[in-house]
Amino acid sequence: MPKQGYIIIRGIVQGVGFRPFVYARAIAHSIHGSVWNTGSEVRINAWGNNFDDFIEDLKRGTPLSIIDSIEIHPLSGSPPDSFSILKSHDGIRTGLIPPDIATCPECVHDIFTQGGRYEGYFATSCVNCGPRYSIIKTLPYDRERTAMDIFPPCLECSDEYSDPSCRRHHAQTIACELCGPVLMLHTGDRQVINVSNPIQRTAELLEQGNIVAIRGIGGFHIACIGESSKELKNRLGRTEQPFAIMARKEWIKKETMISHEEEEMLQSEISPIVILDKKNSRAHDHISSLHTLGCMVPYTGLHHLLFSHLKAPYLIMTSANAPGYPMITTLNDAFVKLTGIVDYYLTHTRDIVNRCDDSVIRNGYIIRLSRGFAPKRTKIFLGEKAILGTGPELNSTVTLYTHGFCITSPHIGNVRNPGTYGYLKETIACLRDLMQPDISIIAHDLHPQFLSTRYAKELSEVTDAVLIPVQHHQAHIAATCQEECIGIAIDGVGYGSDGTIWGGEIFEGSAPEYNRVGHLMPVLMPGGDLATTWPERMLYGILPDEKTKELLLTRTWTEKDLLILEKQVSRRFNTAITTSTGRVLDAAAALLGICRKKTYDGEPAMKLESAAFGSSPDTWEIPLTRIGEAQVLDTQSLLKKARDLYLQNPFDTSAIKQIAASFQYNLARGIATIACNAGASAGINTIALSGGVAYNEMIRKTIGDVAQQNGYTLIVNHDMPLGDGCISFGQCVFAGKKDKL
Amino acid sequence: MKISLMHGAGGEVMGEVVDLFSKITNTNAGGIGLEALDDGAVIPIGGKQVVFTTDSHVVRPLFFPGGDIGRISVCGTINDITMMGGKPLALSCGLIVEEGFDFEILGKIVESMDHALCEENVALVTGDTKVMERGALDQIAINTAGIGVADTIIRDNGLKPGDAIIVSGTLGDHGFAVLASREEFDFADQIVSDVAPLSGMVHSVMKSGTIHAMKDPTRGGFASAINEMSKKSNVMIRISEENIPIRSSVRSASQLLGIDPLEVANEGKVVMGVPAEEADSILQILKRHRYGRDAAIIGTVTKGQGVIMETEAGGERFIEPPMGDPVPRVC
Ligand SMILES: [Fe+3]
Ligand SMILES: [Mg+2]
Ligand SMILES: [Zn+2]
Ligand SMILES: [Zn+2]
Repeated sequence: MPKQGYIIIRGIVQGVGFRPFVYARAIAHSIHGSVWNTGSEVRINAWGNNFDDFIEDLKRGTPLSIIDSIEIHPLSGSPPDSFSILKSHDGIRTGLIPPDIATCPECVHDIFTQGGRYEGYFATSCVNCGPRYSIIKTLPYDRERTAMDIFPPCLECSDEYSDPSCRRHHAQTIACELCGPVLMLHTGDRQVINVSNPIQRTAELLEQGNIVAIRGIGGFHIACIGESSKELKNRLGRTEQPFAIMARKEWIKKETMISHEEEEMLQSEISPIVILDKKNSRAHDHISSLHTLGCMVPYTGLHHLLFSHLKAPYLIMTSANAPGYPMITTLNDAFVKLTGIVDYYLTHTRDIVNRCDDSVIRNGYIIRLSRGFAPKRTKIFLGEKAILGTGPELNSTVTLYTHGFCITSPHIGNVRNPGTYGYLKETIACLRDLMQPDISIIAHDLHPQFLSTRYAKELSEVTDAVLIPVQHHQAHIAATCQEECIGIAIDGVGYGSDGTIWGGEIFEGSAPEYNRVGHLMPVLMPGGDLATTWPERMLYGILPDEKTKELLLTRTWTEKDLLILEKQVSRRFNTAITTSTGRVLDAAAALLGICRKKTYDGEPAMKLESAAFGSSPDTWEIPLTRIGEAQVLDTQSLLKKARDLYLQNPFDTSAIKQIAASFQYNLARGIATIACNAGASAGINTIALSGGVAYNEMIRKTIGDVAQQNGYTLIVNHDMPLGDGCISFGQCVFAGKKDKL
Repeated sequence: MKISLMHGAGGEVMGEVVDLFSKITNTNAGGIGLEALDDGAVIPIGGKQVVFTTDSHVVRPLFFPGGDIGRISVCGTINDITMMGGKPLALSCGLIVEEGFDFEILGKIVESMDHALCEENVALVTGDTKVMERGALDQIAINTAGIGVADTIIRDNGLKPGDAIIVSGTLGDHGFAVLASREEFDFADQIVSDVAPLSGMVHSVMKSGTIHAMKDPTRGGFASAINEMSKKSNVMIRISEENIPIRSSVRSASQLLGIDPLEVANEGKVVMGVPAEEADSILQILKRHRYGRDAAIIGTVTKGQGVIMETEAGGERFIEPPMGDPVPRVC
């Protein structure tokens, strides 16, 4: 009995080889009809006896597709003679294209197949791999709407493109040496080097110790061998911040404590930077002075080819940008901004339409949501109105909600300079272009001076959207748990609803209603932001007494400067008040002499964690008190305890490591205790944890242990960053729930 | 809502008070009125452009290195008239004094007012004194109003793409001098206020050069003034950090306290936008004057919006209008 139907498939069904998949299944089941892309959907007209089996097959999708729904509508008319793939149409946007995908094993095989069509070709890809988000201009996803539009396929590529039996059937990124993007090598003074194999030459140059800018999928990297790390640090003026490396898997397995899951993640289609514990925590300190190493494996044809010519086991591969600024994507920009930093440029002729940095992951938690993860699509119903979340200021992303899905952008960076502010605006424009929402709500951070707040206001005037300010830490919790819970938000800084600086907060409730039931003790930040750069100021802000003064005098502080600090604190002159967890960890790092100046975001706390690594902590008494209705952890007492122990033996390294461990451990116990108490009195048994401090393994695990021992379930979000990369998503959740009230 | 100290701090919060005055029906007497929120008003009278402005002064302490409340109260008004392009002629003085205030101190304040008036040859022609009971006022407040005449009116909204931005000297001196003496901070080098009347210097520039826009960076400092000029002129301003004159004593004090020298008051400085081709000659005129020795060309005007600083480290950041009090934002 022949059946027929008009089928609408929604989800991530473009850029994932879906039309060729449909074609192949149709042929297999003798289905006649056609398939085409509309907006972000795939639509099919199908006639045939095996209609039901055909539908069953479609439900399975392709490896990279995500199917939200398959709708079948009545279809009239008579069937055509065959099945065909038709031209795309415009239409509504409920789905998306996938993020950029690491070169698949089959394509790697093609690249290294002697005499093959793709031998040695750096931009080899197929329906299962290659750039997607970074090259798309607009939907529907077809070659003419990507950066591949300027590379008309050669005859052989066209043949493969239209051959249903080929892995590159309808692969929009299909290209070969004859027709596709090409590589070019330039000297430091921008001259083209004529060489038959630029990759091989680059490998030689790297091997000789040169520093080379390499254009990748979503931006430029700066690469060099390990031996050149000192030179690179000097040229970048970045002496402390760890570098990421790209290495052969065998080397990574030899040098780090990599788990099975981490190994899978490392070589997945995402291929992020995975932060791994070193086997010997002091090894490779020219790459990272922490106990960890950020590792990735080659993930593009170019990388695979480069490593095939390279004797070195790994390359330092750092994003080409000043900290907090957007990654460089164009050759011109690289020429201007990397002068004096790199000796050579290896570039290619495919435009990077949308910038995308490497993603970073640690212990299964996303630190930087970017290449391979983003744009990140989250199914969540937040009402009929489209919502834009403009994010916070640091480690920012933006999120757009429409038609039951949140789309979160790749990592944007620290939105406090013109370059990154421009990137924020571009990213919002790109998401609006891909999704075409009618934005009626704009959610933004409560901080009045954030540029993201300012842009939200600007945009609301153009779009007539309603503005909903969202407190930073409530956004953290809303991003983590949408049910009623006790929320722990521990991080560096966020503007509190009382105008002070929050960052160690315990809430009870669910979005958009949260009660602040606990927090860390409010302490002084002498000099405001200055206390973040100089953690010893924070130490004095928390413990402003003679003992701290004496200690600081043994460091580089002069009597005169200390007198001013003392007066600043006693007179409360420009001393912001904060409950930040990050600042307390900073103070501990300063106390123990572990970090005296912050040169990159989170440095003091990260170094404290590294110092504590491997030491087993002591259990201290948890000093709890109350301010009004809220339970308060007395961080001043905790720090005093640490100082008493430290002063007993200020030169004993193992004692210092022990104190570092105990401080973190008991701080975490204190926070967890407040949360459990709050849960008990509210009758809630779920605890949600978010914030940058939760990346600290000991702190996260300790909170988890205490919660579990007291019968609570701990929720930590594995799909979103724990740090501020989740804020834009949390803003959308909060605003959506608020609007529905 | 209640008035807070932030409402008088010259930052964005002050806008809430300014908004209240939109209730005034008539804000313009034929020239430039209240709605322009410029340094002063302009009223055409009998073919002349009369500039009129007023300012109240409540600085603590009353005496500080480099000046006192008397000198500020005169200079503030003289400078506001000057910033409109006017030549100051005469001032009024309204004193409000707390019962019990020392007569001798008042004498010193008045003497200091006289010095400043004589410097620029301006008369103090009318006045008023009120005494409030003990505790109703902290010591003394001085209001001055003044008039002047302008041949050429200079606004704060006249910047054009291509203009050069000049400051007449080091920034932050007054703010740091006052806060150091108020909070009794003992910095290695004493910081001295720049409080000075600027009409002589500015008019010597106007005699032989063109000024497109100018403003004195008082409350809210340079950051506030430059943003107002950018916004009102609808242009982008790019400032080069390394060219901004800042005394090393001010710089090191700022690094000890976490206060940005660009966000504190100056009382003897002018920020001007001038045609690029005249920038060097105007700079020379300024430098010849005792109050303009450290003048410098610090930036350029381009199309666009906002104020961007090219930092010494090779980056860029926005110079934003201060809120009134700094709010930490670093993670
Ligand atoms: Fe945060
Ligand atoms: Mg003016
Ligand atoms: Zn492939
Ligand atoms: Zn080809």
